[in-house]
Amino acid sequence: MLQRLTIAERQLALAISIAVILAGLLMAAAGSGDPMGPHGAIVMFAGAIVFLAVLRVIQDPEPLEDRAENYYDDPTRVGLLISLGWAVIGMGMGVWVAAQLAWPDLRFDAAWSSFGRIRPVHTSGVIFGFGGNALIATSFHVMQRTSRARLAGHVAPWFVLLGFNLFCVIAASGYLMGVTQSKEYAEPEWYADLWLVVVWVIYFVLYIRTLARRNEPHIYVANWYYLAFILVVAVLHIVNNLAVPASFAGAKSYSAFAGVQDAMTQWWYGHNAVAFFLTAGFLGMLYYFLPKRAERPIYSYRLSILSFWGITFFYIWAGSHHLHYTALPQWVQTLGMTFSVMLLVPSWASAGNALMTLNGAWHKVRDDATLRFMMVAAVFYGLSTFEGSFMAVRAVNSLSHYTDWTVGHVHAGAMGWVALITFGSIYAVVPTLWQRETMYSWKLVEWHFWLALAGTVIYVFAMWNSGITQGLMWRTYTESGTLTYSFTDTLVAMHPYYVARAAGGALFLAGAILAAINVYLTIRNVPQKRTEGDYPTPSEATEPAVPVAE
Amino acid sequence: MSVKERDPLTGHQTTGHEWNGITELNTRVPRAIWFFIIVTHVWALFYWVLMPAWPTVNTYTKGLLGVDQRQQVEARVAAADAKRSSWSDPITSLTLDEVRSDPTLMAHVQRTAPALFGDNCAACHGAQAQGGPGYPSLVDQAWLWGADDETVLETLRVGINAPHPESRFSQMMAFGRDGLLDREQIRIAADYVQSLSRPAEEINADRLAAGATLFEENCASCHGEDGTGSQDLGAPDLTDEHWIYGGDEKSIFNTIFHGRQGWMPAWEQRLSETERRILTIYLGQLKETHHDD
Amino acid sequence: MFRKILSPFARMFEFQARTHYRAERHSMALTVGIILAAGVGGFVEIAPLFTIDETVEAAPDMRLYTPLEQAGRDIYIREGCYACHSQMIRTLQDEVDRYGPYSLAVESQYDHPMLWGSKRTGPDLARVGEKFSDEWQVQHLINPRAVVPESVMPQYAFLLENELDVESLPARLHALRRVGVPYTEDQIDNAAIDARGQARPETEAADGVFQRFGDDTNVRFFDGRRDRVTEMDALVAYLQILGGLTDLPSQTRSLEGD
Ligand code: HEC
Ligand code: HEC
Ligand code: HEC
Ligand code: HEM
Ligand code: HEM
Ligand SMILES: [Ca+2]
Ligand SMILES: [Ca+2]
Ligand SMILES: [Cu+2]
Repeated sequence: MLQRLTIAERQLALAISIAVILAGLLMAAAGSGDPMGPHGAIVMFAGAIVFLAVLRVIQDPEPLEDRAENYYDDPTRVGLLISLGWAVIGMGMGVWVAAQLAWPDLRFDAAWSSFGRIRPVHTSGVIFGFGGNALIATSFHVMQRTSRARLAGHVAPWFVLLGFNLFCVIAASGYLMGVTQSKEYAEPEWYADLWLVVVWVIYFVLYIRTLARRNEPHIYVANWYYLAFILVVAVLHIVNNLAVPASFAGAKSYSAFAGVQDAMTQWWYGHNAVAFFLTAGFLGMLYYFLPKRAERPIYSYRLSILSFWGITFFYIWAGSHHLHYTALPQWVQTLGMTFSVMLLVPSWASAGNALMTLNGAWHKVRDDATLRFMMVAAVFYGLSTFEGSFMAVRAVNSLSHYTDWTVGHVHAGAMGWVALITFGSIYAVVPTLWQRETMYSWKLVEWHFWLALAGTVIYVFAMWNSGITQGLMWRTYTESGTLTYSFTDTLVAMHPYYVARAAGGALFLAGAILAAINVYLTIRNVPQKRTEGDYPTPSEATEPAVPVAE
Repeated sequence: MSVKERDPLTGHQTTGHEWNGITELNTRVPRAIWFFIIVTHVWALFYWVLMPAWPTVNTYTKGLLGVDQRQQVEARVAAADAKRSSWSDPITSLTLDEVRSDPTLMAHVQRTAPALFGDNCAACHGAQAQGGPGYPSLVDQAWLWGADDETVLETLRVGINAPHPESRFSQMMAFGRDGLLDREQIRIAADYVQSLSRPAEEINADRLAAGATLFEENCASCHGEDGTGSQDLGAPDLTDEHWIYGGDEKSIFNTIFHGRQGWMPAWEQRLSETERRILTIYLGQLKETHHDD
Repeated sequence: MFRKILSPFARMFEFQARTHYRAERHSMALTVGIILAAGVGGFVEIAPLFTIDETVEAAPDMRLYTPLEQAGRDIYIREGCYACHSQMIRTLQDEVDRYGPYSLAVESQYDHPMLWGSKRTGPDLARVGEKFSDEWQVQHLINPRAVVPESVMPQYAFLLENELDVESLPARLHALRRVGVPYTEDQIDNAAIDARGQARPETEAADGVFQRFGDDTNVRFFDGRRDRVTEMDALVAYLQILGGLTDLPSQTRSLEGD
């Protein structure tokens, strides 16, 4: 694989890996006695692996192929495999986390295994590890195909992919050691945050440079979304993570903001991590793989425009719906609530655009589990955005906030939408990438689909029930006008739902494991032929029609 | 592919463009979308006019309704208070015995007390007020400070050894740690204390006599000559079978060696007088239904 | 009729669609467009929170976390307690009835970061200070199910074994000052000594704590152990000050006094 790099590129990779090793050494030395020390060791180790891998091929001859002739898919392949690895780890942690709430003693007698420490391993593991890798990998794939151009660089994609995973590993191992800023979805400490900025800037440059090479006059919708994902996540990440380290030789830092300003910044970030990480990026995936698999044209270009700008503009305002009735001034809550409701229309426009695209291909949805994954994902996308806008209404939020209803909403989005569209895309793209006709076993895909759907439905229903039950119990008054239930009463009522959730999660996890097995079996013995047509072709395009109605 | 094609299925025109096999139709934005955009935007506009909404540099638009979430909840809480006053006022002003003899008032007590006890007291005294190691049972017959209403009410108001200016104060001294007695003496005293509640048990008579002397000299000032305790000092009766910290050898040894100073929180700031009265009545009821086994 | 109402919107959208159509041919135009579209909302919602005075109430009696309490807060963060506990009582009747006066912005004025939380697997902790005794907090953290059988909270027994790291406290307080917490030079320099002193009543070090942080400071053997200053000391000291930084909320409380 690395033989495909030129010798100059190999040297560059070697130099970068040496720089990483040195940085790790510095961290390990400065941070001895602090969790930063082990992190330094991890960084060194990561650098060393890359160093050795490149060193092994450094003497090999220059690649002979004409690299402009085909797409550069090696990083995509590796990215997808890593993504599947994280899926199993992250969802495995999810099942454990769920089980701990049902049976709290289901843990080791060690600090690292407590709920508060492993929960972020689950959330970061699935969002960043599973979701992030899938986004990076598919963005490389989609960007090249829709631009009819090879990636702009050969070291940069590896840097982005591996650098991002180094961030994920530092994050997850950090939580277990107690390294966290306790800012939801932004928990990693300052040095991990800084590293992610570096990785992200390279990602953006790579993306823009590849787009600049394109052989198409127009940029396809999927790329608008990937671009929005890259850009806005960068802005959110940088602002929300502004912090002052207590010492450059230690992990601990203090957020630059405090109290109400910190709360608003955090949920401006948190909500838009949903919007631009868990939504925009995956809409990019949807807009490429769904029409491709269904072999149908996108239902409406104009709807794409409307929903893209709607989502980009309205989402940003909605963060304060996480802070209804709090010490955040009410005027901000009003804006958060109204914009969340207005946001529903562009959201449904995307979901509708996807579903209407399937018109004329519904028989395929029936027969092809891969396409069904994407279809159901679009449905759950519509469902969770509707639910989100509903929960953003202050009166509803007064009940749902702080309860499992939120967790149910999250997983309708995360399992039903994010995970399903990702699995669908993986099943669609793996055969292409490894030059196979199809996946190793369509039956396994079918099994996975039903396990995932059952798991999601059980999970979400359990959480709706427990959330609404708990929310109502908290606010139930006796005839005398006094509270009916103590907090402990509500805890007891939650137990059956927590058991059900763990069971649903286990089904979902089982599906993810099947996916990993199926992909593994598919890619054994890769044949060396190129798929017909899967290479950059000179553009035949001239100016397409302007978007006016017929 | 500059030629506009028609999708044979829907009859719509494509935009004439193609990306790696993907084309797009030039379909209009469906009417329903426009409809909902208008509905949601108009609704938002109204909402902005009526409610606090838009910031300026150092203030914000307050909205025509003049609504403020803090005033709203305060009004709601006050209204609920007023509504409850029909029964909460009598509970506060009557004596507890009078309350006990009024079935309507007692119905309110019964409805209110369990959650109140569950949220505030059960953590220490247990769900049934049965107590646990370090926390006295509130349903047995042994009372540190006394079982009458006034005493219990006062205990709830100011707490015991709590950071409240009027808190009740009581302390079991650390005879071992502070070097007042050596380990052997403490063991002897402990044996003696055990014998108080279990006179049947066989203990060496010399040891018992030594224990009695030690007790007389060190403990009687608080626990009384006969060890039945003093409710003025909050010193427990050592002759009954009720223990806060445990009646086994080891627990008693630890009590005498390290001393004890149980901290019962003061509830004056957290619970209203009515609520404290409700709890006091509730404790009495629990005691009645409680069966010692 | 409907068509008529729609027509201006349709024209606007037509304009937008054409603009977009031109922009989607230039990656930089798209980039700038995205940043502009996504920039407005955050700016309008966040910037005024720094400029509108009434956002954070004035509380003249607002006090700072002592070094020991801040160390406890850092442990609360390290263990991820925010995953289950909120510290934000909303302006809703049942929350005020259950947890006490609704939370004010000023109460978390020095919280870097805020720990308002988003899930209540366990109860709100904004006013848990002094609700229970130190002993109870210690027992509960060692094994929650020993005192509350129904609890699903994890055990944190190791806190009692871990010696508290006080040496890094001056640097931590210094960093906090750089983000806006008004610690004095004196408080920063003596942070390590004060952290120990607060968990050791009747020592000279304890006097320093009163002197630098006021006579109302809780100075106790929080974890019940006299020989060591442990992480348990710090966490319990923090829990016991929750809701106790200022009296302002109880002054605005209208529930009291029936
Ligand atoms: C932090 C734990 C804790 C909580 C919470 C608590 N208590 Fe107590 N309570 C104690 C302890 C400890 C004692 C005994 C003090 C002593 O040992 O001197 C006590 C003593 C008492 C006494 C006096 C018993 C006697 O024998 O005189 C009463 C009455 C009482 N509690 C009622 C309540 C009620 C009612 C509540 C709820 C509003 C409550 N307690 C909440 C710890 C607690
Ligand atoms: C200064 C007064 C005082 C003196 C002197 C004193 N005690 Fe106590 N004792 C108390 C108080 C007050 C308590 C209750 C402490 C609590 O509940 O926190 C107590 C509790 C006890 C208990 C625990 C009872 C239980 O229910 O677990 C024992 C046993 C005991 N004392 C034995 C002794 C012995 C033996 C001596 C003498 C060597 C002694 N006490 C001297 C005040 C005193
Ligand atoms: C798995 C979720 C979970 C985690 C993590 C957790 N708790 Fe809890 N906590 C609970 C539950 C459930 C309760 C209510 C039952 C009980 O009292 O144990 C509770 C109760 C409490 C209480 C008593 C509050 C009251 O008013 O009754 C305190 C104090 C507390 N937790 C502190 C902490 C601290 C400090 C941490 C972190 C070191 C922590 N908790 C981590 C679930 C959790
Ligand atoms: C095997 C399937 C899964 C299980 C069993 C599972 C379980 C859990 C549990 C138990 C929690 C904690 C809830 C709480 O604190 O009460 C949680 C939180 C969360 N999970 Fe999952 N999960 C699964 C899959 C996923 C996936 C696929 C994603 C994302 C792509 C995801 C994203 C999240 C997020 C964002 C949260 C935080 C929710 C919040 O704070 O409100 N989960 N999950
Ligand atoms: C129109 C779109 C959406 C709106 C208006 C919306 C709104 C909301 C609201 C009101 C909450 C609850 C906040 C609270 O009470 O704490 C919430 C939480 C959440 N939503 Fe959504 N949602 C939308 C779409 C989605 C989608 C598609 C996903 C996922 C893939 C998602 C993921 C989450 C997550 C992870 C949380 C939990 C945040 C936390 O940790 O508290 N949302 N959303
Ligand atoms: Ca961070
Ligand atoms: Ca959350
Ligand atoms: Cu949100």
